[in-house]
Parts: sequence; structure tokens; C-alpha cells
Amino acid sequence: MRSYVLRRLLVALPSLLIATLVVFTLPRLIPGDVVQLMLEEKAYGKDLEDLRAKLGLNRPIHAQYVDWLRAIGHGNLGESLWTRQPVLAEMTRRLPVTAALGLIALGVAILIGIPVGVIAAVRPDGVLDFFARSAAILGLSVPAFVIAILVTLLPAIWWGWTPRARFVEFSIDPTAYVLQFILPATILGIASAAGIMRLTRGMLLEVLQQDYVRTAWAKGLRERVVVLKHALKNAVIPVVTVLGLQVASIAGGAVIIEWIFGIPGMGQFLVDAIVQRDYPVIQGINLIIVLIIVLTNLTVDLVYAVLDPRIRY
Amino acid sequence: MSPINSIDMSLTRRELLKAGALAVAAVPAVGPVAAIAQTPKRGGTLRLTFQADPLHFDPHQTLSFVTMVPLSFAYSRLVKVKAGPSVKPMTYPVEPDLAESWTQSSDTTYLFKLRKGVRWHNKPPVNGRELTADDVKYTYERFLTITGNPNKPVLEYIDRVEAIDKYTVKFTLKEPNAWFLDLLASTSTWIIAKECVEKYGDLKKVESVVGTGPWMLERWEPNVKLVYTRNPNYFVPGLPYADGVDVLIDKDPASRLATWLSGKTDFGPEYQHAVRWLDAPVAKQRKPGMQTAEYTWFTSGSTGFKLANPPFNDVRVRRALSRSSNLAELYEALAFSQGHWTPNPAVPAAFAEWSIPIDQLGPEGRKLYDFNTAEAKRLLAEAGHPNGFKTTVEAPATVYGPDFDDFVQITLKNWKAAGIDADLKLKEYGAFITSTIFGKFDSMFLGLRGAWADPEAYFYRWFMPGQPLNVWGVNDPRLTEMIKLQRRTFDVAKRRQIVFDIQRYLADQALFGVDGSIRILSAWDAHIKNYMPNNGFDYGGRLMAAWIDK
Repeated sequence: MRSYVLRRLLVALPSLLIATLVVFTLPRLIPGDVVQLMLEEKAYGKDLEDLRAKLGLNRPIHAQYVDWLRAIGHGNLGESLWTRQPVLAEMTRRLPVTAALGLIALGVAILIGIPVGVIAAVRPDGVLDFFARSAAILGLSVPAFVIAILVTLLPAIWWGWTPRARFVEFSIDPTAYVLQFILPATILGIASAAGIMRLTRGMLLEVLQQDYVRTAWAKGLRERVVVLKHALKNAVIPVVTVLGLQVASIAGGAVIIEWIFGIPGMGQFLVDAIVQRDYPVIQGINLIIVLIIVLTNLTVDLVYAVLDPRIRY
Repeated sequence: MSPINSIDMSLTRRELLKAGALAVAAVPAVGPVAAIAQTPKRGGTLRLTFQADPLHFDPHQTLSFVTMVPLSFAYSRLVKVKAGPSVKPMTYPVEPDLAESWTQSSDTTYLFKLRKGVRWHNKPPVNGRELTADDVKYTYERFLTITGNPNKPVLEYIDRVEAIDKYTVKFTLKEPNAWFLDLLASTSTWIIAKECVEKYGDLKKVESVVGTGPWMLERWEPNVKLVYTRNPNYFVPGLPYADGVDVLIDKDPASRLATWLSGKTDFGPEYQHAVRWLDAPVAKQRKPGMQTAEYTWFTSGSTGFKLANPPFNDVRVRRALSRSSNLAELYEALAFSQGHWTPNPAVPAAFAEWSIPIDQLGPEGRKLYDFNTAEAKRLLAEAGHPNGFKTTVEAPATVYGPDFDDFVQITLKNWKAAGIDADLKLKEYGAFITSTIFGKFDSMFLGLRGAWADPEAYFYRWFMPGQPLNVWGVNDPRLTEMIKLQRRTFDVAKRRQIVFDIQRYLADQALFGVDGSIRILSAWDAHIKNYMPNNGFDYGGRLMAAWIDK
């Protein structure tokens, strides 16, 4: 296992290097010049050159890239072109916020998706299965931002109350900090829950038809043991794969949910940075996202071995 | 040497009460403003939402409202636009702020006497020292010399600033500019402390916000809120009334509306505390005591085209373009306006004293505002386009919101009905404002205008040869002469006539596409007293004398 992990990490290095090249180059290909954006409507001839030089943007792009890589090697992601705040410091503040939102959303997706999927699979075509499948289609069809807007606005119009709360820092009130994520994370997790429910149901239905499950029934085991111990463990292997992919999906969905609920996470930071062409921030965030996705996929692969004893690395 | 102004800004309670009572008479469009003056109460926190996070806090590195509005609570200027219930929205009278008085000894020389005993906020690195003429001199020198100050046109005609003594500052201009005092009251001219620049390198960091204004910026939680506390040493005795201001940053319009309807904020959810007309019935239902003021916004649509190239080098084509624009249909459709709007000549109608009434334009100019597709077609045929023509129009994608998208679609539909078939090319916002508005477009563009708080900017920056925003390529000697003349004309009535003549000429030549501005409905809760909104970024100045009746 250890050598497998090391091998995977070694393989990840070239991927990361290619990713750094992509995240460094692509933002610079977006039309629009950060220096002119900063000078807004009135740029005086020499101002443009002066500011470009001050920001180090007048040097050849490969020289800027090498400097950036060198800085990353020293744990420095640079500073925002606009606010001059260190990117790493800002990300250290924001990453836990998005991580908390994403993890709770993932938890919601699992806690809803797998149990409902199991219930639907053990009583196929029954009333519960019908409602579960309908709810899943609804969950997949209605975008999270629509649900978020309705949940925020309608109670305010009807009763003069809104569940929208102001963001509270962990250091001020840890309980409120966690509680404030419940509603946005639930909304964010709904679509994932629906996908997981449908996949769990489908996989479990298939596994329940297999011989070893029939044997388990023939041995007179209780339904709970047959389903949860023998069948579910095999049925959830593809679900784990999907969970890995859901991380990227939830990270994407977090952008709009953070926007609507005013959560100061990475999503808002990234959108603002793209609009402002704040290259160091865009580069820093994307690099971290790439790292997270590489590590998540590695973790998913390792979880396979835990779930299925036949898999060995 | 003729004294122009020597108003004592120390407002007594009686004066404030009088001002409040005057407002009832002065502003007919205002809703249920308390008719009976009440004794102001100290304390409480004003709570409002704001649509964006500050980019940074350096007023000499941006002209954006997202920086200037947050700074308005903490900084002061030499002179400012008067605020409060006595000021009718859409008028912008100038009054002293840090200056106690001023005199003008010649067309190009101004002497400002500063208030004595004004203290900086008691925060490091300035630590509450007294403000002096050197601070004023330092501010304007930085303003004019720092690399990349987009506000430079506001004061670029200043030759030098001198500190004559501790409380006297002399401004010498390169050339006469009758708008000087109005421009000095702009919300980019905050007086800053040298120590902050020296300590932090610039003023971008939140710690560098140390001013002499009514509130002190206590903290900024990015994307969450700005928290201000009362400046106990503010130079106007008794003000501000509120102990604090919480500016909640909320980028989502539905969330902002919900926050306000649920009583978590005291002011309407949009820019300048507006509530969209579409949401007004719900707001009135949920907030029966809500106070409102209806007035015309600075912001409007803007249509740009290349004058040098066919077909827009033909005045008949330009007239056809305006005649085919159905402004009434447009402003009926938008959620923000729902039929509440005002047509704009070259100077937006929000400048009530400087914008020419449409009925005072010349005959050709007046016709531009008379929607008539058949007449537009006739003009095009006369110009050699009997079957209309095809063109391209650039517009920014998404960033201005759904109302702007509707504005673009309805405009294109009406142009097409007259034969102007414009192919829409959406540009990402960053690309749009760094290229299109500087003239890098093929034929036409649609955008917004309204960032400038002085009326002259709307014709000087757009139609004066050599100005970067003269994207039309206008170089008309008669127009240029009129623009120069009004700058030299200190008599306000005479200057207004010249500015009206400029607007008549621009309309007659159809040098711009007609547009309108929304009559917005600013709203504030029943318990907020002594407040009146207006156009411009000076939220802090307008809220200074507001108090909370709870």
C-alpha cells in the first residue's frame, strides 16, 4: 500500500507541473488587461507602463512563470495585484470555510442519498420507491441556486423572516459557525444526494440479484443483514467513485451558494479574482483546487481496498 | 479678493430641526416624512446592505463606488455636497467640510481657511493629531502625481497647492475652471494622512483607513461586512447621531431584499437604498411605515458609434437610430423602473440644474425623443439605406444584471424594426471596459454611463478632442469652443445657458443615442429620522445627521 501511495504521488508530480503551467497561462489569455482595469477609465500614457512595471507584468511570461514556481517552492503564492494581501493568508482564511460547506454538503448527500437509495431498492416499484425516484428527479432538475433564492426570499415576503444569517467567524461563536452551514450545505448537497440515491438504488438492485445474496437469503439471514452487510458493501463501490467526482461538482456549486448566502469562501474569492484579472489569486486558488482533486482521487482509490478485500495495491 | 462662502458648519439642534422641517416642503416626491420635528436621539447602529466588497481602500487608485462609498463614512473633504433633508435630491449644493471658508482672488487662485482643532481618528499611525494645511497639500500632490489615479481629470488643471500657514491652503490653477468647487467636492478628494501612506506604502490596506470623518472603520470582514464606530472627536459638535454603522456586504439581490424585508437592515436593498419598483408593493405591504423618495438616477444606458465611418457619419442615420429607440417600452419593461423614468439629454436629467429640459431642445433635437419607426425608416431611405443596413454592436455580458440584458434586447428589437440590423457581440465585462469604452469597437456599443458626479464630465470627457473617452471621434470646432467657454464662465446663470446650448447642439447633430434614466425609489424604515437620499457615493455624509427613533 505504501509503495502504491508513493507511486501515485510521484505520478501526480508531472500532472501538478502541467497544471501550474495551465493555471499560469490561461488567466493571461482572458481578454482584458489587468493594468487597464486597475486604471479604469482614465489611463495616462506612462501610467500604464509604470504600473505594469511595478506589478512585474512587463517581464517575459516565462520569466514570470519561473519566478512564480520558485515562490511556490518557498510556500509563497504571491500577493493580490489589487489589495496587496498575501494570497496564501487570504486562502488560509477562506479555504476552511469552503471546506466546511463542501464537507457538510457531501455529508448531507451521503446521509440522504444512500439510505433513500437502499429503501427504494429493497422495495422496488413500491410507493416509497416511486416517491424517492420522483424526489431524485426533482432534486436533479431544480438548480441549487433556484432553491436557495426561494428559501431565502419567500419566507421574507410571506412572514417577514428569512433564514439567511450573517456569517459568523469560528473564533466568535463555534456553534453558530457550524449551524450557519446547515441550510446552504443541504441545498448544495441536494443534487448530489439525488444522484447518489439513484446510483445506490440501481447498483443495489443489481447486487441483490446475484447468487451470493440468494445464498444469504437461503441461509435464513435477516433482511437487514443481507442488504446492509452483504449486498450494500459491494453496491457502494461505484458510489464511492461518484463521491470523488462529487467533490468537484460541489466545489463548483459552492460558488453560487456562497454568493447567495454571503459565505466568504473560495468561490467568491475566485469569481472576484477572475473578474479583476487578479492573476496571483486565480493561480493560487486553481493550484489548490488541482491539489485537492488529485488527493481526493487518491483517497477514493485507497478506499476501494477497504471496501473490497479483493482489491490490493 | 471676494469672499464666496463663509458658512459655519457647526449645526445646532435648532438648525437641524429646521432643516428637517424644510425638507417636507422642499421634496414633494418624498413619502411620509415626519411632519413634526422630533428631538434627535443619540445611539444605535445604522444597518445597510451594500452590493459589493471594496476592491481596496485607496481613493487615488480607483474611481469605483465599491471603494468610495465605504470611505465616505471615515473621511472628509475640503468642501462637500450638502446633505440632509433640506437638500432636494438631484441638486448638489456645495458647502464647507474641512474648510471653514474660502476666497477666490482671481480666476485661477483660491484660498481655503481650514477649521482649527480638527483631529484625525485616534488610530495608529496618526493617533489623533491635528489636521493641518500640510495634510491638504500632501493629499492633492499625491492625487495629482501618483501613478494610475483614474480620478486625475477631476483636478488635472491644478498647477500647484501651497500651505500658506498651518490653517491656510492656496490653490493655483493652470487655467480658469468654473467647476473647480464642484469638482473639489467630488468623493475622490478625501483628505488623507501622510503617515498612513508612509507606513503601508499605499492606502489599499484596511488598516490605512484613518480619516477625519464621522465614523471610524473598526473592521472589514471581506465579503461579510464593514463595521464602523462613532468618531467621538468629529469636528461637527453632536454628530454623528448613530454610534455605529454596519454595512453588510451582500452580492445577491434576492438575499438583500429578503434581509431588508425581514427587518435585519434599515434601508432599501439596492444602490442608494433603492427598492426595485417591481418589489415596491411587497415592501410597502411588509413595511407600512416605510419612508421613500423618488428621484432620477445618474445611471443610464449609453449608445456609442463611430462617427468617422459610414453609416454614422450621416446625421440622418444617427437621427434614425434615436427615432427607432422606444424608451417608453424599454423603461416599462425593466424590473427596476416599471415605467418610472426620465429622458436624458447629453447631461443626465439627474443634474436637475444643468440638464436641459427636452422641450427646450431645438426642433431636430426634440424629435430624437419621439419614437417613430416609420420616420426612422424614411430617414434611413433618405440617407441611402432604403432597406436598412447591417451593423455590429458590442455590449458587456452578464455583469450589469438582467435589467441591462433586457435593455439590450429591447433596443435591438426596435432598431431592427426600423431596418438597423445590429448583430450583438457580447464581450466579457473586463474586456469591455478595457477596450470597447476606449474606442476599440467596430461600429457601435451599448453600455451604461453614470460614474461621474459633475455635469461637465458628460460632455467634456466624451466630446472634447483628445479626451480618451471621446470614442466617437468628435472634433467639432464650434462644440469645442462652447465647451471651453463654459469652463471659463463663472456666472452660473450664463454658464448654464452655454451648457444648455451645448446640449442643444449635441442633440441637433444627434451626436449621441437617446437614453433615459430610472426614477428610483429610495426607501428607509420608519424609525430612521432626518435622512434624505441623493445621487452620489457620499453615503456617510448623508447618514451623518440621521438618527434612530427606537
